[in-house]
Amino acid sequence: MSLISPQAALIDQVIKEFPSGNDVIRVLHGISLGIDYGKMTMLVGPSGCGKTTVLSILSGTLSATSGTVTVMNERLDRLKNDDLVRFRRRKIGFIFQQYNLIPTLNVAENAAIPLISDGVAWEDALNQSGRMLDHLGLGPHKAKYPRQLSGGQQQRVAIARALSHNPALVVCDEPTAALDAASGQAVMALLDEAADDPNRAVLVVTHDDRIFSFADRIIRMEDGRVIDDGLSQSLPQKV
Amino acid sequence: MVSFGTQPGSRSYLGMIGVALKMLMGDPVKYFGLVFGIGFSTLLMSQQASIFVGLLTWGANPVLDVRQAQIWVMDPRVKQPDQGQPISDQSLYRVRSVDGVAWAVPYARSAATVKTMQGNIAAVTLVGVDNQSMVGLPEENLANSMEAIRGRNAAILDGNTTHLIWSDGRDPIGEAVEINDNRVVVTGLTSSLTNFSGLPTLYMKYSDAIAITPPERNKLSFVLVEAKPGIAPEALAQRISEVTGLKALTRQQFAAAGTQFIIENTGIPISFGAAIGLGILVAVVITALTLAMFVAENLKNFGALKAIGVTNRQILVMVLSQALLVGFIGYGIGIGGTAAFLYFGQADPSLRGFKALGEIVGGSALLVMVIALGSAYVSVRKVLKLDPAIVFRG
Repeated sequence: MSLISPQAALIDQVIKEFPSGNDVIRVLHGISLGIDYGKMTMLVGPSGCGKTTVLSILSGTLSATSGTVTVMNERLDRLKNDDLVRFRRRKIGFIFQQYNLIPTLNVAENAAIPLISDGVAWEDALNQSGRMLDHLGLGPHKAKYPRQLSGGQQQRVAIARALSHNPALVVCDEPTAALDAASGQAVMALLDEAADDPNRAVLVVTHDDRIFSFADRIIRMEDGRVIDDGLSQSLPQKV
Repeated sequence: MVSFGTQPGSRSYLGMIGVALKMLMGDPVKYFGLVFGIGFSTLLMSQQASIFVGLLTWGANPVLDVRQAQIWVMDPRVKQPDQGQPISDQSLYRVRSVDGVAWAVPYARSAATVKTMQGNIAAVTLVGVDNQSMVGLPEENLANSMEAIRGRNAAILDGNTTHLIWSDGRDPIGEAVEINDNRVVVTGLTSSLTNFSGLPTLYMKYSDAIAITPPERNKLSFVLVEAKPGIAPEALAQRISEVTGLKALTRQQFAAAGTQFIIENTGIPISFGAAIGLGILVAVVITALTLAMFVAENLKNFGALKAIGVTNRQILVMVLSQALLVGFIGYGIGIGGTAAFLYFGQADPSLRGFKALGEIVGGSALLVMVIALGSAYVSVRKVLKLDPAIVFRG
């Protein structure tokens, strides 16, 4: 597949301010960065530095106060809300820190949510998500409910949900924060495999330095600004 | 047109309704809480409303029992059928003289006390019907024909209330009772509609009935009238009033006056209104609170769904479908309970004739659905306003 741009996502001069009483708090100060296809990009930095805000803006769940946001050649800042929601549903996969699986749906149904919400017939959606679960080693757990799984397994279900509709951009918010080291490594290995697809970009927001070795590129943030963009020599090389 | 495809069709809504129902039924405490709450309030509303309407009907039943007469003529001060204010015997002839009257017959209605041969005493309503035409008798026979009334001091008893005179379950046919020192024999049984006093009704020929009631100047309670063909009963009633100075009402008007009297002069509307209001309150409180709790507990999940790309419309449909499901099931249970209560209640004379009118069944359904959908809408507003980015904020 030939791509129009080597970058899956690009934000340019983005400012984000939040109201606070009569004042506004500026959390992003004119940030510009791009996310490449075929790579795992990590956005790291201390708590409150604005990395989750960048992820939210890039994924179309939060609008920027000013600046441009382009994802897969679509200007998200120009899309109407309905189009933005549809864009997220079809083009972006989400992985959350707390998994956010629906406890009363089984594993296969949870993984099929993006397909079901897009109008794929229930059985077809389950078949499609089932193949993804098989691929991620969760085949035997399809009929189980989230409470019957370990944290690592639940996050793998969340990965299956994020990949089931084959999105071009996968955004992950602290995907290993609630996991032990071994589970975290297993989850990151799966995300690393997903990032190897040249038609997909993976953006991981984290401050878990145990997983930095999976990154193709690390962007450091501090106080709402990018302070370092590239794979730092001081960090371990990608495994 | 943007480059990432068209809007998903109705199947996306059906799929998300499936998700919504699984979300709800997977939380049995709230699911059964909602179903029970709506079911209980439906039962309370429809059952109490049915009893209320049944009680109101009791006020009209003495009039509705007499199907042959179109117009009732009475003393101008009379407000309802059980209010005895006799008019002069000449009133009958004056009414008959009014142009447009096909026939007019006397009808006496008074309270009396019967003594049985076993020594029991019971209060009854004594009705005297026209000797020749028998106009004033209910149409339904339970035992013997209406002709059984023609013998001297023969009486036909409302067979549904026999137990109020003889509690031993005996067959009353042939039983003699004493009314004001007169011997009266029960020769037939009829089926009257239940009246508000709840007393047994004893029917006799008019001449017999007025002969055994205590002496007073007038004993005629009502004149029952039929209009000539082509004459509107309402117009004839007005003409009778103008000519005779008596009050004349059509059957429907007098029946309505009977129910209106109960509404205006008893605490029944307030007590039943309170019970029905309580039912509505239970429905609103339980449904609104439980749905609000359900939505609040699932707020993060709804946030995640919004982030993933589930639209506000889909979420609205999800929550409304949850409300509709519990509304339908709860309503079905509640209205079924009312139907069972009324069905089995027919065996109890005090509930005889009570039924769930279509207006009550439909009105309860409408109320329940408005409450369920309204509660759902109020609960889901928070989700609709929810910023999907909240799911990233820990």
